[in-house]
Amino acid sequence: MRNRLAGIFWSILFLAVPVLGVGVFAIAPSIDVWLPKDVSSHGKEIDSLFYFILALTGIVFIVTEMLLFWFIWKYDAAARGDEKATYIHGSHTLEVIWTIIPAVTMLFLAIYQMNAWADMKMRRPVMKPTVEVVARQFEWRLRYPGPDGDLGTPDDLFLVNDLHVPVDEDILIQLKSMDVLHSFFLPNLRMKQDAVPGMKIPVWFKATETGQYDLVCAELCGWGHYKMKGRITIESREDYDAWLEAKYREQEATQPEPMDEIL
Amino acid sequence: MCRNRFSLSPVALVLTVCGSLLFVSGCGKTPAASFRPNMVEAAKQRLKPEQEEQVATILEAMFGTPDNPIAMPETGLDIGKLRLAAGPVHSDIVGRKNGLFREHCSHCHGVTGDGMGPTAAFLNPYPRDYRPGWFKFKSTERADKPTHGDLVTILNNGIYGTSMPSFELLGEAKVDALVEYVKYLSMRGEAELNMMRYFFELDDEDEGKLPETRDFLVEEILLPVAERWQEAEDAVIEVPEMPEVDLAESIAMGKELFYGNKANCVKCHGVTALGDGQANDYDDWNKVVKQWSDEVQSSHEVSTKEMSREEKAEHREYLTRADKALAGDALEPRTIQPRNLRQAIYRGGRRPIDFYYRIHAGINGAPMPAAAGTLTPDEIWHVVNYIRSLPYEFDGELGADRSMVARDRL
Repeated sequence: MRNRLAGIFWSILFLAVPVLGVGVFAIAPSIDVWLPKDVSSHGKEIDSLFYFILALTGIVFIVTEMLLFWFIWKYDAAARGDEKATYIHGSHTLEVIWTIIPAVTMLFLAIYQMNAWADMKMRRPVMKPTVEVVARQFEWRLRYPGPDGDLGTPDDLFLVNDLHVPVDEDILIQLKSMDVLHSFFLPNLRMKQDAVPGMKIPVWFKATETGQYDLVCAELCGWGHYKMKGRITIESREDYDAWLEAKYREQEATQPEPMDEIL
Repeated sequence: MCRNRFSLSPVALVLTVCGSLLFVSGCGKTPAASFRPNMVEAAKQRLKPEQEEQVATILEAMFGTPDNPIAMPETGLDIGKLRLAAGPVHSDIVGRKNGLFREHCSHCHGVTGDGMGPTAAFLNPYPRDYRPGWFKFKSTERADKPTHGDLVTILNNGIYGTSMPSFELLGEAKVDALVEYVKYLSMRGEAELNMMRYFFELDDEDEGKLPETRDFLVEEILLPVAERWQEAEDAVIEVPEMPEVDLAESIAMGKELFYGNKANCVKCHGVTALGDGQANDYDDWNKVVKQWSDEVQSSHEVSTKEMSREEKAEHREYLTRADKALAGDALEPRTIQPRNLRQAIYRGGRRPIDFYYRIHAGINGAPMPAAAGTLTPDEIWHVVNYIRSLPYEFDGELGADRSMVARDRL
């Protein structure tokens, strides 16, 4: 009887995988470990792609896991006495079916997402960069072009970690890395792009809501990777201009700031 | 039923083993953190073991340990802030993060603030050693301490061009606590140096021991350091307004000064201003190590033939100890690069006033001299304007083509 117990144990264990798996997904949104709030114009498309693929793989996951459970349960040697197993050489039809279905699905996904990919990575807005972001171990150095709109001129504004952009406008970021691979990740804007040393990579988006959100590094870049954290502030055009103006005035200071402003 | 090899017991065994492994690995004991003694200085001053021990004991009584800092009232330090920054990384009873220095700073600057944390040797420039009490980027005269606000600015902005990142997003309270702790470590380091150097001045009746009276320790050891930190707060350099001349004119005058004998910036920063002038100098931190290691090296070559047996033994012991201190308590000395002024990367800040402070007072610890006695305030402003124009000087006298001077600043 001891061996029959083992069979039951293994079947239940394998059944627990899909049950827990689905359960975790079911409760995740209510305990706030689901997708962060989307504040970008293209985010809806990315999220619906995510949900679509999640549903597709979810169904396949549940079906295969149930089958696995069923086979372990039903064909447990201890329960079937001396019954002999049948030796078969495989089923050609079955193999063809389970090769073609995933292949078609993959192909469908590859074509279905092309437009979303092109929007995010190929069809960039025709404009000068809003800001240059230079990733380095372990911070984000920012350079705004200043009133003339050109980078590399004396009116550039230099900042660190504190990225500001105007809401409801196309934003074009020129992304560089000073040392190693980094990844510029704005979870709330559904935007992630590797920064590669020696390359100038354009990144664009349009924010739809004001607020402050995380800017994090999503590529292991060294021991301090986990604290390579910045902040993005999305604000109205007026607030943004006022902020730029204030920061520029600070950068051009010819007299010390009062102590209470430093602290 | 022997065909079925699976049974519950191996599963139970595997789970038990995994569980206990997790348990054991999570509960490793780490020894309490301790401050490292300044071995280089101790060896240099040829301190006896009991003298080293006395210094350590006094330091612990005055400053406490990395986990339990003490702020004597004479230091003017805020113990609340120090506690927030000191100790191991943990959350206190109200969920506030403690141990900030060890979380954010010690891997480079070391638990002792000696600039020799585990990552230090890989970095160029090396992380700052706070113990001599020299700080580069500040609003006070060259030999003065920085103000609290100066250090806050450094933590907020980071030091672009070095490995020091920005800590602005930690928030004001945490940055403030960290600055307080840096001052604490610096005072401690300087007090240690003062004591190690004081043995030299002892009388015969002291029998090679520092007097352990409160008066002596406060007056001779602590106050000379602490007072200078407090004085710095009111000793900010006064900056006259920028003269009202046309910017292009000011830049032209600045350029003349840059290349002229009076300011002579060109000596180190080079005719191209690419920082390719004199490049074989050391900063003061490296110079200390460099000079002493040269000295030790020449002592190795001294002939011991004429020495008595005791002298020989003493000589040998000194050299062994010196070699050990240099290998274990100092990083390989490195020359300092004059700044490349065409990259628009400035370590001490890019505001005109930051440049003014640096040219007026020079850079403490670096070969950059103070210009205050040589240049008038107006002249300093002209040099500031010229330097700020350098990264964008495309059609200058050098006739350098755009692609060479305006190299992409990656």
